[in-house]
Amino acid sequence: MNRLLRQLHLFEEIFSAFQAAFPDDPLTVQAMPIDETFVTLAPEHIHEACEILVERFDFYHLSTITGLDTGAAVELFYHFWNAYGITLRTALPYTALRIATLTDFIPGAAFYERELYTMLGVVFEGHVNLQPLLQPDDWDGSHPLRKT
Amino acid sequence: MTKIIVPIGPQHPLLKEPVSFQLTVEGEHVTESAMRLGYVHRGIERLCQERTYVQNIHLLERICGICSHVHTTTFCQGVEALLGVKLPSRALYLRALLCELERIHSHLLWLGVLALNIGFDTIFMYAWRDREVVLDIMEDLSGGRVSHAVNIVGGVRFDLTDDRRVTLLRQLNGLEEQVRILLGVVEHEQTLQARTRNVGRLSLEQIRRYCVVGPVARASGLDVDLRRDMPRPPYDGLTFQVPVRQEGDVWARTLVRMLETVESVHLCRQMLDLLPPGPVSTRVSRRVPAGEVVSRTEAPRGEVVYYIRSDGSDKPARVKVRTPTLTNLITLPSQLENVNMADVSVVLSGVDLCIACADR
Amino acid sequence: MNIEVALRELLHPIVRWARRKSPWVLHYNSGGCNGCDIEILDTLTPRYDVERLGILKEASPRHADILLCTGPVTRQSRDRLRLIYDQMPEPKWVAAVGSCCCSGGVFQGAYNVLGGVDHVVPVDMYIPGCPCRPEAIIDGLARLLELIQ
Repeated sequence: MNRLLRQLHLFEEIFSAFQAAFPDDPLTVQAMPIDETFVTLAPEHIHEACEILVERFDFYHLSTITGLDTGAAVELFYHFWNAYGITLRTALPYTALRIATLTDFIPGAAFYERELYTMLGVVFEGHVNLQPLLQPDDWDGSHPLRKT
Repeated sequence: MTKIIVPIGPQHPLLKEPVSFQLTVEGEHVTESAMRLGYVHRGIERLCQERTYVQNIHLLERICGICSHVHTTTFCQGVEALLGVKLPSRALYLRALLCELERIHSHLLWLGVLALNIGFDTIFMYAWRDREVVLDIMEDLSGGRVSHAVNIVGGVRFDLTDDRRVTLLRQLNGLEEQVRILLGVVEHEQTLQARTRNVGRLSLEQIRRYCVVGPVARASGLDVDLRRDMPRPPYDGLTFQVPVRQEGDVWARTLVRMLETVESVHLCRQMLDLLPPGPVSTRVSRRVPAGEVVSRTEAPRGEVVYYIRSDGSDKPARVKVRTPTLTNLITLPSQLENVNMADVSVVLSGVDLCIACADR
Repeated sequence: MNIEVALRELLHPIVRWARRKSPWVLHYNSGGCNGCDIEILDTLTPRYDVERLGILKEASPRHADILLCTGPVTRQSRDRLRLIYDQMPEPKWVAAVGSCCCSGGVFQGAYNVLGGVDHVVPVDMYIPGCPCRPEAIIDGLARLLELIQ
């Protein structure tokens, strides 16, 4: 019970910080399994939201960045963990598959962003080495996880 | 001094799996390194979308042969959360028992490979001989030495009789004696320490910035272990230590892994003593209701994360796998800075590469 | 000239006997999950100990008689596998260890997988299993050696 109370208290603070930083963003919050909280943000707010999580709330551990082509947009999920899990979700339209990189303050995000670039074609602006990660030498440039 | 580029891999006696490193060497010192992944990239995430959940268990087990059970455990854990089923306690204990046995086998395998790479063949033979005991136990429980296929969505598909449980406890006693001998070698043997101390050092700050996981992180002072920090059954009812060291070099990682192996033997013993009665699985429906889940477990190499999205059919809409080796690989360039060519084998072994996991 | 031919005829069975009694193997993983690889390494360990049968695991393709392949061939691994096979001196044989190596196994249909190893190199012995047990690997190698006769 203590753990749950601590989690609720912590997330209250995080949401207030997000609301203060992004007053125009609707910021939907959902509780998801397993013990995870999803926050939906606009793509241009992701970089600052991650900075708030890392610097103010010590969510230094970025588990991974997931990308998913829903057929209508490309959704990105930034999974963070520090005793509790929080995921920032955003949707990129097909016409604007660009988002700011996190590698300026989380060098550990480099490989995840490169993989998303290979698999889905998302360009991470500011990444120092945005090369394909897993594709063979004779890669034809197609993105395996894209539906279209 | 002239610069030479020394290629290591994809076929190299040091590497058990194909990966390519290009080391720029000046004299005896490595100044830069580059790596090329993708030799083992099979496109598993895309294959997962074309197969049902049941078929995916068979597929995901074969992402990696060394940590196969932990992949299916994380996957089944996620799907069961989407279905909203609660597993019987006995199933959770048996699943965790195999997880710990896999941790023991993985660390002993790694110790042997490290010893082989530094020229200490004796420890390779001893560690792999002791590992055979663990493989025998796993074969007796599940039918397979390396691939177990014990996880189903809803539980496990094997059970343990009482006399088998008693035999297992006896086998674990013998195993613990052998593991303690190997631990003693790591703690006291001068040649091993001379090769592995002060090599491949990573500071706590680097660990946090690179988001490193597993024994590599714990050897540099980061006290995180998902079995203790995400309290879920059965680990929330068991007592165990999480070994953490501060030195951050390959010797610290070796020590952390061997101490973890001893702790895993204790955990297996506790689980066998406290094994609750009851069924080992529950019936679940083939179609998984629409939803999303993030599932995490502590594999032998660190945190394994699965993100699963279902759309209401019997095939997942997306399965994302992030394995600990992909995270730890990013530290290699900074570990390989300024090492001697002779120490490259130690650094590469210290990270416990599982390229099949990283490439998927 | 006759003496040379006669000498060669005399030495030929001896050389063939030596090759059969002590084949040196090279192991290459062309994209597999590592399960078969650790079972191959297991054959070197005290329980199975293939070294007593004369089988030695070599580091360089130029020293090897038999290429032990594991894993399905990925698009990236294809050229390297061919290069390794070409670098081995004659006579050479290839043993495909594991279901993935034989036919692509569970990864058939993946976008980056070509299939079994016989897409790239000619295979002399198929050893199925997922993963292949050490006993099966030793049996497969023994049969391959009989074939060499």
